[in-house]
Amino acid sequence: MKKFLALMVALVLVCGMATVASAAEYPSKGISVICPWGAGGGTDSCLRAFCEALGKQLGVTLTVDNQTGASGVIGHEAIADADPDGYTMGMITFELSAYKAQDMSDYTYENYDPLCRVNTDAAAITVNTDWAAANGITDVATFVEYCKAHPGEVMMGGSSSGSVWHIAGGYLMNATGIEIKMITYANGAADAVKAAAQGEIQGVTVSLAEARSFIGNGLTVLGVMDTERNSAFPDVPTCQEQGFDVVYATQRGMALPLGCDEEVRAKLQAACAAAIEDPDFIEFMNNAGQTISYMDAEAYTAYLKQAAEDVPKAMEAVGLL
Amino acid sequence: MKKNQSKAFSNLVISIVLLVFEIWAYVQTLSFKVVKNAAVQPASFPQFMCLGMMIFTIVLLIQSVMKLMNMKEDDPLAAPASSINFFKSKGALAGLVVIALCVAYVALFEVLGYVLVSALIAAAIMWIIGKRDFRQILLVSIFVPLLMWLVFYKMLTVNIPMGILQPLKNLVDMI
Amino acid sequence: MNWSLLFQSYGSVFLNPEVLLMTLLGAAGGVLLGAIPGMTATMGVALLIPFSFGMDLIPSIGLLLGIYCGGMYGGSISAILIHAPGTPAAAATLLDGYPMCQKGQAGKALSIAMFSSFCGGIIGALVMTFLSPLIADVAMEFTSAEMLMLAVFGLSVIIAISGQSIAKGLISAFFGMLLCTVGMDPTYSAKRFTFGVKSLYSGLQFIPVLIGLFAVSEIIAGVERIINGEEKQGRSDEKITEVLPSLTTIAQIWPQILSGGLIGTFIGAIPGAGGDIAVFVSYGFNKSFSKHPEQWGTGIPQGVASTESANNGCSGGAMIPLLSLGVPGDAVTAVILGAFIMKGIQPGPTMYVDKLDTVYCVFAALMLANLAMLVVGCCGVRFFAKIVSVEKKILYPIILVVSLLGAFSINKNVFDVGVCVLFGVVGWLMNKYEFPLSPILLALILGPMCEQNFVRFMDLNGGNFLAILGRPIAVGFFVVAVAVILFSIYNQKKINKREAAAKTAARGE
Repeated sequence: MKKFLALMVALVLVCGMATVASAAEYPSKGISVICPWGAGGGTDSCLRAFCEALGKQLGVTLTVDNQTGASGVIGHEAIADADPDGYTMGMITFELSAYKAQDMSDYTYENYDPLCRVNTDAAAITVNTDWAAANGITDVATFVEYCKAHPGEVMMGGSSSGSVWHIAGGYLMNATGIEIKMITYANGAADAVKAAAQGEIQGVTVSLAEARSFIGNGLTVLGVMDTERNSAFPDVPTCQEQGFDVVYATQRGMALPLGCDEEVRAKLQAACAAAIEDPDFIEFMNNAGQTISYMDAEAYTAYLKQAAEDVPKAMEAVGLL
Repeated sequence: MKKNQSKAFSNLVISIVLLVFEIWAYVQTLSFKVVKNAAVQPASFPQFMCLGMMIFTIVLLIQSVMKLMNMKEDDPLAAPASSINFFKSKGALAGLVVIALCVAYVALFEVLGYVLVSALIAAAIMWIIGKRDFRQILLVSIFVPLLMWLVFYKMLTVNIPMGILQPLKNLVDMI
Repeated sequence: MNWSLLFQSYGSVFLNPEVLLMTLLGAAGGVLLGAIPGMTATMGVALLIPFSFGMDLIPSIGLLLGIYCGGMYGGSISAILIHAPGTPAAAATLLDGYPMCQKGQAGKALSIAMFSSFCGGIIGALVMTFLSPLIADVAMEFTSAEMLMLAVFGLSVIIAISGQSIAKGLISAFFGMLLCTVGMDPTYSAKRFTFGVKSLYSGLQFIPVLIGLFAVSEIIAGVERIINGEEKQGRSDEKITEVLPSLTTIAQIWPQILSGGLIGTFIGAIPGAGGDIAVFVSYGFNKSFSKHPEQWGTGIPQGVASTESANNGCSGGAMIPLLSLGVPGDAVTAVILGAFIMKGIQPGPTMYVDKLDTVYCVFAALMLANLAMLVVGCCGVRFFAKIVSVEKKILYPIILVVSLLGAFSINKNVFDVGVCVLFGVVGWLMNKYEFPLSPILLALILGPMCEQNFVRFMDLNGGNFLAILGRPIAVGFFVVAVAVILFSIYNQKKINKREAAAKTAARGE
């Protein structure tokens, strides 16, 4: 027994020394990356693929750490509260812009040091084909006209309460001046899409990727809320093309806690910029139907600032505030 | 068997405790957000559930009162209630100690880390329930948490707090 | 039905060594993962998806389905042996499985669980192969109204699993439903019972509560028994001569296997309803129609068979809406859907036209996954059954630290470990004062489904609940639910009378 204890003590000492000796050059050990959402979901798979690419750039392993709960608040706060030594970072998502307004967390984008934006997925106006045909709705203009004639009657689904697609309905209302009723589907967008195809609701404001199993098969897309057409759906026009200035998307990006060493930040920003070009990552994102839309740290910060102003307004429109 | 040691009496006490809990929960629901033009308020569903609980608590209350009224003092047929009186029952006391250990476990989980805190609680419980073979106590309480951590961390890539044993993780990372 | 293509696809799956190996590995991993409380098949599938990136579609689907089926069975191992359901879908298995283990029939219970899982899985796979388009059409009829009434139907089983006192069972159930409302409300994001604790925003996590109620409470009670000198050392069967149940046992349990498998398949096929609901419905249904309902819960093979066939039947059922509608039936299939999309295949109505060979290969892979689970299970039974013979004084602390780690790993949040301990105490007290635990569990599973669909239905219909009369399937479920409630009240009265008679007779002697 004594021998065993002595061995343990020796081991602990060796480990301690190993960490001290290797702290000279960054990165010298694995980096842990916090994902505020569950394993297997959209954010998780995007992050895992990106970490793979980032790992190639940095030459160390990046371990994804899913810290979930409280609609992502737990994970987001964990990123901001982490040691700013460069060995913990995380992925921040759209929901960060909505926490403060809902009194769920005091943290805003200002509590983070954004590295880059990785991906955005634009919302789209998708309606039940039969309903559209019966009411002469063929594009965004006729849809808006119909909604103006029937205020508060059109019911659109948008995933769970306070989620990105639920708030998309608010953006649509604010931008076009129409009044629609948003119905929530707590189990996620798939349920809302199915309900729209069944005709329980008239349409959905989710992304094209979420709706795609029913597009052309019970659902028709009127317009996508983006600045350019989606490469996977080249026939779907944008709202802007049709004269309605609604641009709205969910977004995901990498961020560090505040107070990291300048050198570490620069190194990570460069690595992110290179990782986004990684062919494996690009292939993965194409297959998953997620759009890569890179922004560097500066542009991303400005983008987050804009979102912090717009999102609460849209939340008010859907009755969340 | 005295009346106040019977199952019917314990049911009576429980139903009163439950009623207090239900009223408290109902009062809580009154402070939930009220939404304009909502078909169902956020507070409505929990209120239904409180009321449902209340109805059957009252049923239980009436049932136990009836039973107590029909019961003779020192009825030999009355079913005895289980006791959590830890002054009288050594078993209940041990149960209470285990609960206290678990609470301490939660409090120390992040400070000491999973492996250490689990080793401590496992050893403590084995000691309490009368295990006196120190070699076995040490072997089990050290190797089981260590093995679980290795399986979760290395094979399932689940990050588990190591607290003051952090160097151990760095060592495993190097291998 | 394109028979030649069907046979060709089965052949290409069953004769491909890579698929065979991957499915077998998946099943073995799934059984082990499922057996650890807190590690669910969903997590297993999610964790292994990155490994499947480099593989072809069919081997990776084989791997994932292997984990799925293996995990479903694996959950029952810990439910039977240590009173800790490894997965939510195994929660009903302990009702009869654990008493069997205490009677010294751990090996028998395990082999019945394995055999029933296998049969249920095969039933699910067969139904999926031959009736997929039909069932998908029925699933498309399910809107909020039908989902609400399906939840009510599921809840009607509560009385059947309540035990002696119906009042106590219903108090437990309403308490469970109240627990579901903790957190942000699903429609307006209003905070309810959160007391400013952020970890409560998304509600109480199901798995920590489950582990607390069953495993932790059992450890506290076990310590109490040991100190009071009431604990009997567990023993495994004298000798496990056969790893599969004997023919006489199979003759006893085949009706439960058949009905459980079908119930599981059907409930699994409805998006949003999974194995956790199916097992309770199957248990309650089979108990209600049994000739000896009083024996249920005392450790009979039929009880284990009815739940285990249902949860594996579910895996076949859940694949139906996934393939034919592109809508996942439960959490695991949601992750598998992701895997399909990664490979550039979009499940949905068009898949049956454009990619029929892939569809058939998935059928075959599911069949193979169930076979692989049987093989792994057969090898494991003797080994698993040995766990019971470990000295209790060593076993309890081990179960405790493993369970608490399971509770932690769901969200990696220490708060969940606290929840687990809290519900351990609640479960211990409830057991002492004879409040049944399973109604809480059923309410926790069905509560959110009930509330969400109720609120949505009212919202869609402007607050007019009577609009439900326009939905015949929903009304049908409601009528059946009422019938089940009345029937189980009648049954419980009968059981209580028989037990009272037995007591008087015993005293008379």
